[in-house]
Amino acid sequence: MIKIDNVGFAYPNGQHALEGINAQVASGKICGLVGMNGAGKSTLFKLLTAHIKSKTGRIEIKGSSVKKALQQNLISYVPQSDEVDWDFPVLVKDVVMMGRYGHMGFMRRASKTDHEAVDNALERVNLIAFKDRQIGELSGGQKKRVFVARALAQGSEIILLDEPFTGIDIKTEDALIALFKALAAEGKLILVSTHNLGSVPSFCDEVMLINKTLLAHGPVETTFTQENLSKAFGGMLRHHHLVGDDLHDDEDARTLTVLSDDERPLVFYGEQGGQKITQPGNKDD
Amino acid sequence: MIETLLEPFAYEYMLRAIWVSALVGSVCAFLSCYLILKGWSLIGDALSHSIVPGVALAYILSLPYSLGAFFAGFIAAGSMVWIKKETRLKEDAIIGLVFTTFFAIGLLMFSINPIAVNIQAIILGNLLTISHQESVQILIISIICTLILIFNWKNFLAVFFDERHAKSIGIETTFYKILFFTLLSAATVAALQTVGACLVIAMVITPGATAYLLSDRFGKMISLSIVIGSISNALGTYLSFYMDANSGGLIVCIQTVLFITAFIFAPKHGMLKHRKKEVIHG
Repeated sequence: MIKIDNVGFAYPNGQHALEGINAQVASGKICGLVGMNGAGKSTLFKLLTAHIKSKTGRIEIKGSSVKKALQQNLISYVPQSDEVDWDFPVLVKDVVMMGRYGHMGFMRRASKTDHEAVDNALERVNLIAFKDRQIGELSGGQKKRVFVARALAQGSEIILLDEPFTGIDIKTEDALIALFKALAAEGKLILVSTHNLGSVPSFCDEVMLINKTLLAHGPVETTFTQENLSKAFGGMLRHHHLVGDDLHDDEDARTLTVLSDDERPLVFYGEQGGQKITQPGNKDD
Repeated sequence: MIETLLEPFAYEYMLRAIWVSALVGSVCAFLSCYLILKGWSLIGDALSHSIVPGVALAYILSLPYSLGAFFAGFIAAGSMVWIKKETRLKEDAIIGLVFTTFFAIGLLMFSINPIAVNIQAIILGNLLTISHQESVQILIISIICTLILIFNWKNFLAVFFDERHAKSIGIETTFYKILFFTLLSAATVAALQTVGACLVIAMVITPGATAYLLSDRFGKMISLSIVIGSISNALGTYLSFYMDANSGGLIVCIQTVLFITAFIFAPKHGMLKHRKKEVIHG
């Protein structure tokens, strides 16, 4: 559904933010976007929301340009929490209603369908009881869910999530992951940029590793490997390597590798350190 | 008693001054809700001072003053954007630099050219001596601004609250930002006549700031702000008749009194309420 064809972007000072990105993502998939700070994750999101224009190449969404896709309400964007002014005088339901603006006429007057869509979205993220709260009066996890609800109310086929797991507790994270999976099962395409390496295998179908260029893109099982991650992060990851001898006294040669950016760590456990990906528990939080 | 209270309405110039200031006050109040939420208040201040050379030039060329003011406002805003793009200077430095320059050029132009207009009228306002023609100009500006705002207030809200989302639902955010500054320049030009260049800034900040303390919903905030803006302007003008005082000063003082009242007594965001909360929690 998203087709990225040789896309590149450079800042006015000539510094390249992205170069020669080629990728295709189909509907019904959750695709993780992983890379260091400044690797171009946000730039890619900005291109997908027509915030900036690519210098080279072309992005096609369902066969049309990004601008056309936006006009057809095909894309919704869930911002990072620190991009939002939480003191703004809007209630939870007002924010979610803004997701419906694209469906409304010139004056943006809400119809019965719009109100129903807002209520449904709020129910899905479990915030219906908070609909009349001013947005600043919510907890971190609730704040995040308001904007997910806005994307749901918008009803677009592609949802862009920018660092959805920063600043929220594990319980909310698990609830969000369950919701994202359900949405993907309904045929939505979800693109998630995240630092949270540990949760990628638990909910992403595929992963894109970027650092200015697209380093690797494919199913999590084959692409989200220690080798590729080392390429994407260079020496920037916290890297803990425990070989068999450190772990126990028997002949077992398997090693334990823990990779962590700043959130839930990613654990590799196996003989070459990269054979099997296991999900760690939630102990770290 | 009643006769004394109704006395101002017997004079045509007073009647005109009252409705003109109420009208200008409500348009400015509408805009103030957006301005204060975006942290753009200083830009409003800059704009109001920057239009002075435009007014001077318009007088010299005997063009309608609003045309010159508008033009100067646009150049000022444009140069701020341009300097921001070309240098590493912080926004407040650029705003300070540009508006003082424009204001200085305006003062120079007035002092060099022996023109009939009283410079005090530009800086302090001349509400009580407004001509019929000027009031018609203000009426037209205000009606156009109000109509645009009423039809688009939700689009503006979307752009001001979350620009990226606004863009992602197909709203032309750049267009709306330019439109907003155009409306702001127009309202500032109109308000220049009532309270003068120095105090215009109060009209595009104080009503919105007061309403913000009183409401958690943007729509309600706009209505409150408009009520505050129009009533304080009409009342200030009316009282200036008895006090023989500068109407602009009076208007802004009334707005400030309303702000302080809200600041202390606002049901949810007032100082007293916050104190109470602290006592309970602490």
